[in-house]
Amino acid sequence: MAAIEIRGLSKTYRVTRKKEGLVATLRALFRPEYEYVHAVRSIDLTIESGEFVAFLGPNGAGKTTTLKLLSGIITPTSGEARVLGHIPWRRENAYRRRFALVMGQKNQLWWDLPAAESFHLHQQIYGIPPDQFTRVRDELTEMLGVRQLLHRPVRELSLGERMKMELVAALLHSPQVLFLDEPTIGLDVVAQYTIQQFLREYQARTGTTVILTSHYMKDVVVLCRRVVVIFDGQIIYDGSLTNLVDHLGDYKIITIRFSDGQVPTDLSRFGKIILREPPRVRLRVARNEATEVIRAVLARYIAEDVSVEDPPLEELIAALFASARNSRLSQERGNSAVPEDTTHSANH
Amino acid sequence: MPQPLRYLQIFATFARNSLIRDMTFRANFLIEFISSLSWVFMNLGFYILIFHYTPSLGRDTGWGKYEFFVFTGTALMINSLAGMLFMTNADNFGELIRRGGLDFVLVKPVDTQFLVSLQRVDWSSSGNFLVGLGLAVYSLRCLGVWPSPVTIVLYVFYLLCGVVILYSLMFLLAATAVWLGRNETLFDFWFYIVSFGRYPMEIYEGRFGRPFRWFFTFIIPVLVAINVPSRFLVQSIRPQSLEEWLLPLYTIAATVIVFAVCRAVFQLALHSYRSASS
Repeated sequence: MAAIEIRGLSKTYRVTRKKEGLVATLRALFRPEYEYVHAVRSIDLTIESGEFVAFLGPNGAGKTTTLKLLSGIITPTSGEARVLGHIPWRRENAYRRRFALVMGQKNQLWWDLPAAESFHLHQQIYGIPPDQFTRVRDELTEMLGVRQLLHRPVRELSLGERMKMELVAALLHSPQVLFLDEPTIGLDVVAQYTIQQFLREYQARTGTTVILTSHYMKDVVVLCRRVVVIFDGQIIYDGSLTNLVDHLGDYKIITIRFSDGQVPTDLSRFGKIILREPPRVRLRVARNEATEVIRAVLARYIAEDVSVEDPPLEELIAALFASARNSRLSQERGNSAVPEDTTHSANH
Repeated sequence: MPQPLRYLQIFATFARNSLIRDMTFRANFLIEFISSLSWVFMNLGFYILIFHYTPSLGRDTGWGKYEFFVFTGTALMINSLAGMLFMTNADNFGELIRRGGLDFVLVKPVDTQFLVSLQRVDWSSSGNFLVGLGLAVYSLRCLGVWPSPVTIVLYVFYLLCGVVILYSLMFLLAATAVWLGRNETLFDFWFYIVSFGRYPMEIYEGRFGRPFRWFFTFIIPVLVAINVPSRFLVQSIRPQSLEEWLLPLYTIAATVIVFAVCRAVFQLALHSYRSASS
């Protein structure tokens, strides 16, 4: 059975339209005008038990809203979802014992107390047997290298150390489903790396079903084979990361280092020059022409070093978002003549 | 582990963690402790001053100096219990809503209202409770009254009813934060309402008093919260009317109803929770 099943899930927020100026504000006090924000629009998604899935999307795309719906924090406007067979927004204890939520932007540990005290509280809230509690806590703090910090007040920890403690707190009850909302946000590379390695190892060992949202492509590359791209409340891509790269990345980046310190001036005929920093040059060329270009360059000039890379994932994703935005805009322009269409927020 | 025991254990941890936290900031704790105690003593001084001029509140009401001090002791105990257990939490609820901290409470496999209501225990109010208890005992001794065990059981029961009534009113107002965003003024309203309950109900007499008495007994039952337990100690000897007999029964009904309303509104609030952005 699938761990997570989502059918036609939608969440629409009604917000009061804010206007500038005192008169408009006073008028709005008596006759508020509303507009509707479609945070999630009819999402369908099935996630099998043991998958590690990434949600990608720009800010405000609906990733976090989807996670909140699946955690039962908010109730959907329409549609269905089942996680481990439970309807999340019924907030049954039986369900709440089986999943965990980590949010990089919010913290749940008691600020002025050592993490150990918050862990103790979690033990009681989740009814974890003492021996299991001690074992899991020691294991997790060992893996994350924060065991010696257990008795230091949380407010004295660094952001990275605190995030690691947040992870431990969330995993103490060995959840079957884990929602990670930007767990590495704002962390330095070392802390990011530690958390990535931890999550990978933990997930491989326990087979926990994980959904991760992150803005760091590195997280996604290291952890997730399956990627769901959400844009404007809708899923615009669902598949493997490699497919996404193949699908989008129809070009390669070639970096050449010339040996005599001189950079030839006629390189632009091979491809687009994106960096010129003698003796180095970076060229952007069509994927199927890459080998041809290298052969031609090497035949003509003396190069010290040549490397070929896929374009950076960030760039690909940004391009994907940009094209989604363009098609959305043209769609809306086409729709504006049809007033009965209510699916787009801009029409309200 | 049986459910009630588990909840008790969680509450004990909340109380313990709060104490550890209070002890980390000892100076702050002492200042709060002393300032709230001095407020209590200033009030007491004021009441003593009043009884310099009159032997009793009104004529033949039965509220002499020490009867009134039993009442005040009871009021102190009920108010300090409500303050100690719930006030910080009710105050914090708006913050949980505004900043989205409620997210983490909602995903816990424990009743959300329980977690929100009891997360923090304000130990600095414990001094007021002890003063109230001391005042009630001392005044009873001055009156030469020795309550029977049954009276004491009834007194404690109604004292707890009083705490539940104050709690329910407090969280009814606090829950509106979900719809209002900010509700600080509405929350201050709690203090205004509760201050009506801090006096014997006999003072609400006459053309002006009667409507007050009726309103704060039957619509917002804050008047029975302190009056009823106190009457068991110092007034039960001479019931003045039928009302006097019905009052304890009514108090139980009022406690149940006001708590049920609070619970229903709170559930509705949780349903309407929108969760602040990521």
